[in-house]
Amino acid sequence: MNLNWTDAFNNLVPSLLQGVVVVLQTTISSFLIAVVVGLLVAICRLTQLKIVKGFFATLVEIVRGTPLLVQLFYIYYVVPLILDNILKSMGNSSANIQFSAVAAGIAGLSINYGAYISEVFRSAILSIDDGQKESGLALGFTYYQVLWKIIIPQAFANSIPVLGNYLVMMIKDTSLLAIISVSELLLRTQTYASQTFETIESYTILAGVYLLLSLPLSQLMKLLEKKMKVLH
Amino acid sequence: MEEIMMSVKSISKSYGSNLVLKDVSMDIKKGEVVCIIGPSGSGKSTFLRCLNLLEIPTAGDIIFQDQSILNGKIKVNKYRQNVGMVFQGYYLFNLKKVIDNITMAPRSLNKKKKELAEKEACELLDKVGLLEKKDVYPSSLSGGQKQRVAIARALAMDPELLLFDEPTSALDPELVGEVLKVIKKLANDGMTMIVVTHEMGFARDVADRVIFMEGGYIVEQGTPKEIFENPQNLRTQEFLARIL
Repeated sequence: MNLNWTDAFNNLVPSLLQGVVVVLQTTISSFLIAVVVGLLVAICRLTQLKIVKGFFATLVEIVRGTPLLVQLFYIYYVVPLILDNILKSMGNSSANIQFSAVAAGIAGLSINYGAYISEVFRSAILSIDDGQKESGLALGFTYYQVLWKIIIPQAFANSIPVLGNYLVMMIKDTSLLAIISVSELLLRTQTYASQTFETIESYTILAGVYLLLSLPLSQLMKLLEKKMKVLH
Repeated sequence: MEEIMMSVKSISKSYGSNLVLKDVSMDIKKGEVVCIIGPSGSGKSTFLRCLNLLEIPTAGDIIFQDQSILNGKIKVNKYRQNVGMVFQGYYLFNLKKVIDNITMAPRSLNKKKKELAEKEACELLDKVGLLEKKDVYPSSLSGGQKQRVAIARALAMDPELLLFDEPTSALDPELVGEVLKVIKKLANDGMTMIVVTHEMGFARDVADRVIFMEGGYIVEQGTPKEIFENPQNLRTQEFLARIL
């Protein structure tokens, strides 16, 4: 086998470093939005209002029942077309809506992970002992104060291990954004490999970069988990 | 004539067709200590929970300081600030240090300054004998210590009335004493309290009045002497014979 590691390293790695910045930016923004979306959806699903409950339950099922890849396609290619058509039917014939690839990617990841994270929060909130709520009420807090000051902080703390897991998954799932032309790691590698035919080297380096990104995070999560255990 | 703090007027509570509290009435005077005893399932806890509206009675009325708390005109959360409650399961906030458990409600509800709230919390912790635990997390406390912190937490809102829902039932026998001692101290300080308990010795020692409940009714009430030494009702006699 005639492998040219030096060449691959020297030429691919600088490009991948730029890709890492894209991955981190996308992951951090998507994850923060997903956590907020997840929390809000979880709370909406825990209200007594049947319509609100049903609406968000259906939404979560739709998102969880379709692949992330299809969702990304849909947001990037289909949603602009739909909006275009709506605008045209309203008499605006020059409409030509397009999302930036990164924005579409962030939207897709946020919605998809938001749906899963909402389930994490929902079960975490439900698992908090009713006595916590009652002791808060008995002190004179209102229901919403109890929810935000007592229940949600505890539910959030209990969710940290699972959230950490999702964060690591999301870093890896940013590779799907290659298909909507976000120049993240996979797309850069693909381009490089197809130009140089250093396929083995390129994709091995790519896998290594993903490992380097996710391993420290998993370790950090383990540490956090240990810290949280002390409180129980 | 002593001032009546709370007047319960024939309240009932049912879950669907299951009537768990039947036409219960009682008055509690300022400074009085009332112990409620009775077999499990007799409605004692439900009754207690009705008093701070954790359960809403399905009939009857409760008058607190000359005002109905059931006519919808009062703010329930404001009312509850006057009526502390201590639960069987402690329910401390486990993400917060002991001191923050105690200062949380006064700081956030009464807008007390941190320094003042902490100073008062330290006094309360001293009172329940746990000042040295102020900076630990609840998970490192024993059951008895947790319950004493829970009492301090309830006291921090400076309530008029304190409700205890079987405060020692979840404790190991050797830890029961330390909690009862704290409650006794409060009684001596003149705190108005209603205590649902299975500790007959405690009820006999501390209560001004003992109420025996069974099947959702108040079967009999009187001074500890009357109830424990000379119960009139057959069911009270049977209950006491079973457990004493």
